[in-house]
Amino acid sequence: MMSKDFDVVVIGAGAIGTSVAYHLCEAGYHTALLERGDIASGSSSHCDAVALICDKLPGIDTKMGQASIDYFGELAAKFEYDFEYDPKGCLYICETEPEFEAASEYCKKQNADGYKLRMVDQAELCQMEPHIAKDLRGALYTPPSGSIAVSPYKLCFAFVHEAAKLGLETYTYCDITKINLHPKTNAVESLETNYGTIRTKRIVNCAGAWAPFVGKLTGLNIPIEPRKGTNLVSEQTERLCFHKILEYGYMMSKFDSINFKRNVSPLVEEQNIAFNLEYTPSNNLLVGGNRLFRSYDIRSEVETLKAICERAMRFYPELADIKCIRAYSGVRPFVVDHLPIVSDVDSIPGYYIAAGHEGDGICFSPITGRFMTQIISSKETDFDISKLDFARFAS
Amino acid sequence: MLQRDVLVIGAGPAGLAASIEAGKAGADVLLVDLNMQPGGQLFKQIHKFFGSSAHRSGTRGYDIGKQLLKEAEEAGVEIWMQSTVIGIFPGNKIGIEKGLDNGDKEIITLQAKKIIIATGASENAIRFEGWTTPGVMGAGAAQTMINVNHVKPGKKIVMLGTGNVGLIVSYQLMQAGCDVVALVEAAPKIGGYAVHAAKIRRAGVPIYLCHTIIEAIKGEDGCVCGCVIAKVDDKFQPIPGTEETIECDTITLAAGLKPTMDLVKLADCKLTFNGPFGGYIPLHNEKMETSREGVFVAGDTTGVEEANTALEEGKIAGISAAEELGLISSENADLMRAEIWKRLDALRLGPFGERRMMEKEHILKEYREIIGTPISAE
Repeated sequence: MMSKDFDVVVIGAGAIGTSVAYHLCEAGYHTALLERGDIASGSSSHCDAVALICDKLPGIDTKMGQASIDYFGELAAKFEYDFEYDPKGCLYICETEPEFEAASEYCKKQNADGYKLRMVDQAELCQMEPHIAKDLRGALYTPPSGSIAVSPYKLCFAFVHEAAKLGLETYTYCDITKINLHPKTNAVESLETNYGTIRTKRIVNCAGAWAPFVGKLTGLNIPIEPRKGTNLVSEQTERLCFHKILEYGYMMSKFDSINFKRNVSPLVEEQNIAFNLEYTPSNNLLVGGNRLFRSYDIRSEVETLKAICERAMRFYPELADIKCIRAYSGVRPFVVDHLPIVSDVDSIPGYYIAAGHEGDGICFSPITGRFMTQIISSKETDFDISKLDFARFAS
Repeated sequence: MLQRDVLVIGAGPAGLAASIEAGKAGADVLLVDLNMQPGGQLFKQIHKFFGSSAHRSGTRGYDIGKQLLKEAEEAGVEIWMQSTVIGIFPGNKIGIEKGLDNGDKEIITLQAKKIIIATGASENAIRFEGWTTPGVMGAGAAQTMINVNHVKPGKKIVMLGTGNVGLIVSYQLMQAGCDVVALVEAAPKIGGYAVHAAKIRRAGVPIYLCHTIIEAIKGEDGCVCGCVIAKVDDKFQPIPGTEETIECDTITLAAGLKPTMDLVKLADCKLTFNGPFGGYIPLHNEKMETSREGVFVAGDTTGVEEANTALEEGKIAGISAAEELGLISSENADLMRAEIWKRLDALRLGPFGERRMMEKEHILKEYREIIGTPISAE
């Protein structure tokens, strides 16, 4: 049995955990990455592939989103491992006038903060997307500088590959049975695993939707819930769309506070469908999506698939002639205030959490890794991220 | 939503037999299959079966198929052909792309109280340079072309593999008027029965033992125009310098089969790996029930064997589904199953059979130890 010492132990090898591990190694920490399954076997291989600023609320969210997207470009240039970085523009489709107005409002706010989004009318939309339905009001356009795609699981492998060069030790299929704390100070001391005892003064819980289970090992209540999302995969096809496509109603399903009433069927409403479409490097289309609470059950549901198809064909009628070859579902780590937890834990010295990014985990992974390393090094973070503090749930 | 007592997926011998038993017991049975005709592989098996008279020895596969179809009709089984199961969802909901009479497809969702998966097996591919070139195909595919569709897959054929499938299909290709130019076998001896090999030998077709195909040569038209074979060492690695080129337009691969696991996996049935049975298979008990309550399996899906074992297992699955629906008493069902298991034991004799009998017992034991009672789907 192994008995090893590390400066930091990162738990969870999804986009967040691998990024945190990479950034810690880069900063010179002797780091171990522990993963219950394989690399990218949870949410990071059961999601879609884009990072956007235009699905974020104006303010800190957008600022962090933009910083992360910029940072992706740097990483793509620097990394030996290709994670299919593809800057592609994004169109938020406004089906109706009220949606167009709301989007225009949003666009104005973002423009005031210096982000180059703009509204396109029906004619321009049809020019940009020749296969789209011809009766749509318009769209909110985000240029490639604020909208990119990456392969989420390749991203995880890229972080691990680059971090391994800097000394990262990765333990997959690792079960943690116990986290030992100091009897007096309550500080992190070691972990008991099927690989033996691992001694460390610092652990980072990056277990995403499963972070509460890791939390329980030390009696921490981490308020993250699994929220299910489903995607369909099409057969390989001629390029049907040329941007990342979303419907503006997506904002509605993401932020309950924004209230639109869409003209959709009861099935689409009940399934909480927000249409989105993207092409992949292999020319399969990814068609989504929805958000439902179903605990950790990631079996796809036939009603969801039907509802996604129904909504998708409303925007791209030609999808009716393209075959769906597969569907997959995954859970997103949902936090009630839609903000991740990137923080230390007051009650347990040496315990850190970077989890709860819901649908933003891929987008925020690079910058989260950087933040967490700054927190661990007691350096000032690039932004004020006090909003992401775990202490906000203390009451 | 459409409701059925029993949905049987796959209209080969196992699925037909399961449907007949469940239908005879009074269940409302729907049988779906993606092919044009029911019968599965039986309709391309123009050779006579071996075995005991209880198992229709001396009868040709397609005659068995016809008889089963008649029995299914008599038992009131509803059959949807050219219909593909596209998903098994929570709550025993099943998505089916149903083939309509006018050639169109329609997506139907239905709920079945019991599901019997009898999706058979698929051919193993062998990867060598150029293995995706048009003209390289499974031996089973070639057999379907000649015996079902009456189309010759090519003029000059090289067969890889000398198991019974490789031998029988080679002979049938010759009967269909193809020129089988060589059989290639990596092992030092022929895999199938001597009686089949003798027919090939008598026709003067060379069988290259201790050889394998290392390349399919692509012609100007983009299709196969020959293949390179080489001798292999005792670790089945090609020996450099022993390459030979054989001119051909078709390469058929008879390298065994593996159980088709897609729907079994979708139904979330617990699997086990079993080499002699062809790979991953669903754990199941004496009733042919999987780890999932109400989900049964039968035939090659449970491990690659042959038509007669598939038939018998199908009957068990049909009886067990009917029993769970309360249509057959447990006492009667036990008696019926005991009879069938006796016949299955008789089928699993001889040099090829005994191994399978042992493996089957092992699987049943593993089920008892790991699963015990089937788990409710919800």
